[in-house]
Amino acid sequence: MERRIYSSAKYRYEDRVLFFIVPLFPVSFIIDILGFHYYHLHLTGILAYLCAFVFSLPILGFIFVFGLYLAEETDEYERALCVQSMLWGIGATLAVTTFWGSLEKFAQVPRLDVTWVQFLFLGVMGIALLVNRWRYR
Amino acid sequence: MKNRLRVLRAERGWSQADLAERLDVSRQSVNAIETGKFDPSLPLAFKLARLFETTIEGIFSDEIQG
Repeated sequence: MERRIYSSAKYRYEDRVLFFIVPLFPVSFIIDILGFHYYHLHLTGILAYLCAFVFSLPILGFIFVFGLYLAEETDEYERALCVQSMLWGIGATLAVTTFWGSLEKFAQVPRLDVTWVQFLFLGVMGIALLVNRWRYR
Repeated sequence: MKNRLRVLRAERGWSQADLAERLDVSRQSVNAIETGKFDPSLPLAFKLARLFETTIEGIFSDEIQG
């Protein structure tokens, strides 16, 4: 008898990440590297807003797809693991950015480019997911 | 929370994967509930009770799992 490994919600989530979110990351970085680091574009008006939106699409899309997964997942244990991991990601992001903000204010450390904060969130969330799976194995 | 899931499952000769399939959850979920690392929701506890033809108290007790 063939057994399922994941819930159907998880397969849908993986497909959405693989086919919609992952391809958005190179697009976003091509805009960043070519537009701002290579050609030194100084965009204004609607084009500037459009570029900003496209650059943030991967993380916005990921949050949307992850929310959809949490809504569709019927396995409450899997859902609990994901929610816990996301809370770790949010907590770490909030803690680090708040502390860095204080450092900028009081210790004049270099200004943090907040567009990179998404990788802190995703990284901590990913590590927390692995740690949680190991804890509850 | 302490539970008799492993015993009840063994009585029927079911593996964790068999039980997971009957409950429509992952095998990891069954393992986490069985080892007391994850407490199921009330709907899942009712589902378990119906499956084993017993009450929720017949499976779970509020003692801490050792």
